[in-house]
Amino acid sequence: MTKSNKLSKDQIQKLALSVMGFFVLLYVYFSFFLGPLNRSRAVAEKTIATLQAKLGSSKGEMLTAANLESEATAATTRFATFKSLSPEGAPIAWFPPRMKLFFTNQQIDKTTARLESSAAFKQLELSEWMKYTWVIDLPQTDFVSVGKAVSELENTEPLLTISKLSIKAGTDDPQFQQASLVLNNAIMKR
Amino acid sequence: MALQLNLLHEQIEAQRQRQRDPLKIGMMALGAIGALMLLFYMFKAYQTLQIKNRLSSVQHDWSKVEPKVTAAQKRSKELTAIISTTKVLDAMVEGRFFWAPLLQKLSRCVAPNAQLMSLDGAVSEDNKQVTLTVQGLAAGREPRSAAEELRQLLTEQLSQSYSEVKVEFKTLEDLDTIVNVGGANMAIARYALGVTLNPAPEPPKAPTPAPRTKR
Repeated sequence: MTKSNKLSKDQIQKLALSVMGFFVLLYVYFSFFLGPLNRSRAVAEKTIATLQAKLGSSKGEMLTAANLESEATAATTRFATFKSLSPEGAPIAWFPPRMKLFFTNQQIDKTTARLESSAAFKQLELSEWMKYTWVIDLPQTDFVSVGKAVSELENTEPLLTISKLSIKAGTDDPQFQQASLVLNNAIMKR
Repeated sequence: MALQLNLLHEQIEAQRQRQRDPLKIGMMALGAIGALMLLFYMFKAYQTLQIKNRLSSVQHDWSKVEPKVTAAQKRSKELTAIISTTKVLDAMVEGRFFWAPLLQKLSRCVAPNAQLMSLDGAVSEDNKQVTLTVQGLAAGREPRSAAEELRQLLTEQLSQSYSEVKVEFKTLEDLDTIVNVGGANMAIARYALGVTLNPAPEPPKAPTPAPRTKR
């Protein structure tokens, strides 16, 4: 009876083989079947959650865009106006003739306009804009004409600021004065 | 009692040995566990298949909405940029210093006997301070008084529109030259006025509370 309960060496070997087979089965099952399945399921669930969140927020985003569109009407119109003040092409090509024409219309002749410097704005919102500094010389004018021209210039060119102004009595002809303006102009990059 | 002889005991023993063969039992157990695992795997695969079906349906919905959402996002970004740029530009436009009103005030302050020779002005980068240098000649019996009148008038006139107005003489010197103004010979003085002002108008003063009267 005791002899029959004891495992023989052959039986122990077979038992060990069965245990090894069991572990191999577990490994194969989890590594090649259940693992990839669970992973693909987890990925699918995550993608669903992401897409559903996007779908949920998409309605809000479209609504926000529609609201923004109606709210930004004034800003868009104003921006278009500002943009129209910067014609196509290099500013050095169109700004001096524009100033010359402007002062001629103000009865001031012999105007010279030259570019002094150009730099980017510090504000991030104006990354598409450049600040140009121009020097305008009016060698033959008078105080009243300059005053009127400055007034007209400030009213018609909203993006232009006069940073320096100089008016001096003419040395040759005291009837005339010489004026010099330093202008800063915001011009859109084209 | 009859004697029973088991002549097949070796065969029976061998059969018993075969029946309790650990390898066979192990293989059976493995087979059973394998079957359970297969069932579980199939259950999980079915669930995964359902999830994948749901995913494809959600992806289909999203593919319909996505172009609209992308366009809306792009437009929102564009509009936000336009709004913020316009705000900054508006602030620049509204915050700039206008020279024409200053020139107008200056021209109104200059009396016929106080000629301006030159005017140099500059506005600071932040548009918070304007500096002006006015040079000229003042004529009169007391040419210094004429220049002082101009200084006082300038202070008074500029203070109406601007704040922190300071008008000070940089130089004021008598000249030996005599000029004829309106048929009268007058002495002249050369002056240079330094003007500083803040373009912002003077804030309205808060009304002072009336003193309490004792009852």
